[in-house]
Amino acid sequence: MKIRSLHMLLAIITIVGGGILLANELGLYSTIREKSPRVTAEGVHIISDIRGSHTLEEIEKYYQLPASSIIEAFGLKVDTDPNSFKVKDLKEIFKPIEIEGEEYIIETDTVRVFASLYLKNPYTSEETFYLSESIVSYLIENNKLTDKEKEYWLGHTFKAEYLGDNNLIGSENLSPSESIENEVAEEAEEFEITGKATIQELLDQGITEEKFKEITGFKVSENKTIILKDFISEKGLEFKEVKEKFSEILKNR
Amino acid sequence: MLKKQNKNKRLIRLAVQIFFLALIILISFNHFRSEQGLEPLLIGSPSLHAVCPFGGVVTIYSYFTEGTFIQKISQSSFTLMWLVLGLTLLFGPVFCGWICPFGTVQEFLGKIGRKIFKKRYNHFIPIKLDMLLRYLRYIILILVVVKTATTAKLLFSNFDPYFALFNIWSDEVTRLSLFILAVVLIVSLFIERPWCKYLCPLGALLGIFNFFRIVKLKRNEKTCINCKACDRICPMNINISTSKTVSNHQCISCMLCTDEITCPVNDTLNFSVLEKESSGEDSLKKVKKTISGGEK
Repeated sequence: MKIRSLHMLLAIITIVGGGILLANELGLYSTIREKSPRVTAEGVHIISDIRGSHTLEEIEKYYQLPASSIIEAFGLKVDTDPNSFKVKDLKEIFKPIEIEGEEYIIETDTVRVFASLYLKNPYTSEETFYLSESIVSYLIENNKLTDKEKEYWLGHTFKAEYLGDNNLIGSENLSPSESIENEVAEEAEEFEITGKATIQELLDQGITEEKFKEITGFKVSENKTIILKDFISEKGLEFKEVKEKFSEILKNR
Repeated sequence: MLKKQNKNKRLIRLAVQIFFLALIILISFNHFRSEQGLEPLLIGSPSLHAVCPFGGVVTIYSYFTEGTFIQKISQSSFTLMWLVLGLTLLFGPVFCGWICPFGTVQEFLGKIGRKIFKKRYNHFIPIKLDMLLRYLRYIILILVVVKTATTAKLLFSNFDPYFALFNIWSDEVTRLSLFILAVVLIVSLFIERPWCKYLCPLGALLGIFNFFRIVKLKRNEKTCINCKACDRICPMNINISTSKTVSNHQCISCMLCTDEITCPVNDTLNFSVLEKESSGEDSLKKVKKTISGGEK
């Protein structure tokens, strides 16, 4: 039997197209990554499985490493949302630092090293030999380092620098009230309903719970830190439509 | 008459190539939209890693030893890998010749190169060096698979020009992969499918199947008029006119050489299975008619 172009086309449709449909039916075609980390025989989650796509909340869930510890140790804004802040977002907050000719970036591997020291779970890093001063101080203050570790890390610190003023923890140069006022003003100017926006952020912009129910048809969930997009999708609504309605209200305020 | 028919046959592969190229562009665009908080258009918004069968290849060690997929790889790429391997076992590296969007982009650029350089196109590298370079992709395949197995990280994406091209908006794309992409695209103007020929690790794996694929490319020596049209059209510079069964590891099953498209003699060069060799006389009669314009 001769194979012609048409046969090849049919083979592609059948094997690739049909295969995908069949695999989908059998639950073997998920394009979403399984994010739960591997577990050792002792039931401990493996540190090297911390990924850039993990949120602080997921880190807390899997590793029992409180999100608040990461926020404080890394010097993130106190209102950082653990539910939406991903480990890889750190790269957009801190400037790369050059030490001994090597460029150091506070990123996923830094969190792995921090988690390893904090939880006393083994992890050998091939990238992170220096930690920021704030991380080392936090670990020492919370008695998380052995004497040997303390000696090493105290000699391997650097001062972290933020990429933009937006990321500054608070307001070293401003009074607390000025800082809050500025923050609110900035947020009001810049707030945009993205796929990462939480319900709380929306409420903070002045959308009342009644207005929320009027537009979505559903009460505000008890957990206001959940992502608006997830909430909308869960209720079977079109995010785009709901987003437009909210945006319209915010614009007309 | 014959030429018109050939063009139509070429259109089938071209349509498939354009379909998959458009699909990948749409997936990439949707992924970008979803990161901006916008709804995806028409289809979902998986990452490019999720729809690349090579992801399945690099995670195979991790899957069978630890039961998990490596960083950034999802189940879909593992499933796609098996589907592509099945397709390849039957028909050879159809994925490379018909589906791979990066191969398609190189091929389209090659059309410009062919117009500029005419007969010199795709013949710039000395044959001996060319033959040697073609084994480079196997070294890359081994390095990528071993290194990925030992680190459980998707290291290849740091070099991958395919990922760089279709994910160019993303901060995940490294400068190195952009550089490799630029080099491959420029070289595509001189050499047909340079990435596929010399560097692609997935192409290397699929190429091995050419030795035992079920549907083989067979040349009927009795009817072959030795015009070498098949050699000239082959994007991978395979010497088809001297083989009885073409099992070169570089064949991409594009079917351009077959008598359906280029070979001027019927029943002479075909992808076939379970077929006895036809008697040469009938086919020679057909070519004589064709050459004399007798066949309608």
